Amino acid sequence: MSPAFLYFLETVLNGLMTGVMYSLVALGFVLIFKASGIFNFAQGVMALFAALTLVGLQTGQVPFSHLINAIFGTEFHHFGWTLPAFVAVVGTLVVMVAFAYLFEKLVLKHLVNQEPIILFMATIGLAYFLEGFGDLMWGADIKALDIGIPSGGSFWLEDVTREWATEGSDYFGMYIDKLDVVAALVAVALVLVLTLFSQYTATGRALRAVADDHQAAMSVGISLRNIWVIVWSIAGFVALVAGIMWGAKSGVQFSLSLIALKALPVLILGGFTSIPGAIVGGLIIGVGEKLAELYVGPFVGGAIENWFAYVVALVFLLFRPQGLFGEKIIERV
Amino acid sequence: MNRAVNPRDLNVHHDDGVAKGDVLLEVKDVSLRFGGVKAITKISFDVRKGEIRAIIGPNGAGKTSMLNVINGFYTPQEGTITFRGVERRAMRTTDAARQGIARTFQNIALFKGMTTLDNIMTGRITLQKSNIFAQAIWRGPALREELEHRHRVEEIIDFLEIQHIRKVPVGRLPYGLQKRVELGRALAAEPALLLLDEPMAGMNLEEKEDMSRFILDVNSQFGTTIALIEHDMGVVMDISDRVVVLDYGRKIGDGSPDEVSKNQDVIDAYLGVPHE
Repeated sequence: MSPAFLYFLETVLNGLMTGVMYSLVALGFVLIFKASGIFNFAQGVMALFAALTLVGLQTGQVPFSHLINAIFGTEFHHFGWTLPAFVAVVGTLVVMVAFAYLFEKLVLKHLVNQEPIILFMATIGLAYFLEGFGDLMWGADIKALDIGIPSGGSFWLEDVTREWATEGSDYFGMYIDKLDVVAALVAVALVLVLTLFSQYTATGRALRAVADDHQAAMSVGISLRNIWVIVWSIAGFVALVAGIMWGAKSGVQFSLSLIALKALPVLILGGFTSIPGAIVGGLIIGVGEKLAELYVGPFVGGAIENWFAYVVALVFLLFRPQGLFGEKIIERV
Repeated sequence: MNRAVNPRDLNVHHDDGVAKGDVLLEVKDVSLRFGGVKAITKISFDVRKGEIRAIIGPNGAGKTSMLNVINGFYTPQEGTITFRGVERRAMRTTDAARQGIARTFQNIALFKGMTTLDNIMTGRITLQKSNIFAQAIWRGPALREELEHRHRVEEIIDFLEIQHIRKVPVGRLPYGLQKRVELGRALAAEPALLLLDEPMAGMNLEEKEDMSRFILDVNSQFGTTIALIEHDMGVVMDISDRVVVLDYGRKIGDGSPDEVSKNQDVIDAYLGVPHE
C-alpha cells in the first residue's frame, strides 16, 4: 500500500476515535433534550465536575480545603489515602445522582411549564455555578486522571502497519492511542445499555413516554419530577464517562467544559433527539475535521480542525435543520 | 375475557370499598376560573359506581375543564371533589392516576413514537412495583412483573381487537385506531373511574358503533365506572345511564337521558331561544 493511502487510513481512524469522544458529550445533551426539551448548556461543565470529583475522591483530596483552611487557619489538604479506581467511580456516581436530585428540587421544580428559553437560561446559570463550585470544592489546578485505562500508541499496530507500506517508503506505522480505542468501546457499550434500558424496562418506557407527551404521561400516573431526576442522573453518568475519557486524555482542567461547544455541531448533524444521531454525528465531525486538516489545511495555513465542524453544521442547518436522524419538524398553520 | 383466580390478577382498583350503585365520585360546588374567565361555576354532580355517566353541553360549556379538574390537571378555586370517600381540592395528576382515575383526551394524547404495545404498557405504570435498579438488571421479580403486565396488556389488546397493530408506532395509525389504542392505555390501568373525552369525535358511523360497543363492554364486563363527554346525542342517549348537562360553565340539567331530553333549559341551550 502506498504511504499516502495509509496516511489517509490513519487519519480516518483517528477521526473516528475523536468523533466518539465528541459523541460521548453529545449523548448527554440528547438524553436531557429528549426527555424534557431542555438544551442543557451545563453538560460540558457536568463532565468537568464529574472528572474533578473523581480525581478528588481517588487521591483523597479534602473537599473545600482552601475554604476550610482560610476560615479556620488550618493546613488540611489530604486525607492521606488513595481509593481504588472502582470505589472512586461509584462515589462520583453517587455525587452526580445527588446533584441531579438537588437540581430538580431547587431549580427545575420551580420552573415547570415555563418556556424552553427560561429552562435554557437556568442551565447556563447551572454551568457557571457548577464551574465555580467545582473550583471551590477541588481547587483550580490541573490534575492527572488515572484510573488504569491503557493509553499511548500501540507498538503492535505500528509494526503491523509498517509492513503494509511499500518497500523503502518512509512510513513509520500507524499511531492510534489505546485510550481512544477504549473510549470507542465504552461509547458503544454505553449506547447499547441505554437503548436496552429505554426499550425493555418500565422506567425506560416512562422515559420515552415523557419525551413524547408530558400531559399524557402525567395522566397515566408518571411523575415528571421523578423522571427528571432519573434523566439528569443518567446525564450525570454520561458526563462522568465523558469526563473520565477526556480527563485521561488531556488532564482534568477547566477548559474541559469547552468540549460542550464541540458537541453542538455534532447535535446539529445528528439531530437533537436521536441517540444514534449523536454517535453518527460525532463520527462524521471527527473524520471530517481530521481529513480537512490533512488535505485542505496546507492551502489555508492549517488549524482547520478548530472551525471546520461549525461550518459543516452551518451548511447542514441550511438543508436539513432537523439533523440526520432528528424528528421531522412539521408546523401546522 | 377470562379472569384468572390468582389473587395477584385481581383488579386492585376495583376493590375500593364502594358498593355498586353508591357514590364513587362526588363533585361539590366546584368553581374554576382562569384569571377573569369563569370556566366552571358552582357545579355539583355525582358519579355512581358501575354506571356510565355522560357530560354534555354546547361548545365552551366547561366539559373538558370538568374532566381536567377531576383528574388533577386543574385545581378549582372553590369546591371539593370526593373520590372513593376521600375529599380533596388540589391534587397532583399522578396521584389521581394512582387512586384509579384514567382518562383519554379529546385530541388523542398518545406517545406517537412508541408502538401500540408500549403505549398500552405505559398504562400499567401505576401498578408497577419493582424499582429502577431491579428493572435495570432485568431479572427476578422485576422480570416476572414485566411479564405479568405484558400478559394483561395482551388481554386488553385482544379485547379491543387490535392484535394486528401491536408493533406499529401509533403515529402511523389512522385516527379511529389511535382512539382505540388510547382507550386501551386507559384500560390497562384497571381504573376505578374511566374518563373519556369525546371518544367518538371525528369517527365515521362504523367506528362509532365499534367504540360504543367497547364502552358498553368495558362497563358490563369489567364493571368499570365511566364518565364521558360526547357530542353525538344519539350515542349519549343510547349508552349512558345518567346525563349531566352544562352550559356556560353552569349545570342546567341532570338525570336520565329521557328526563334530560325533555328539560326545557337543555332544549333552549342546544336549539337557542327565539327573540321575543
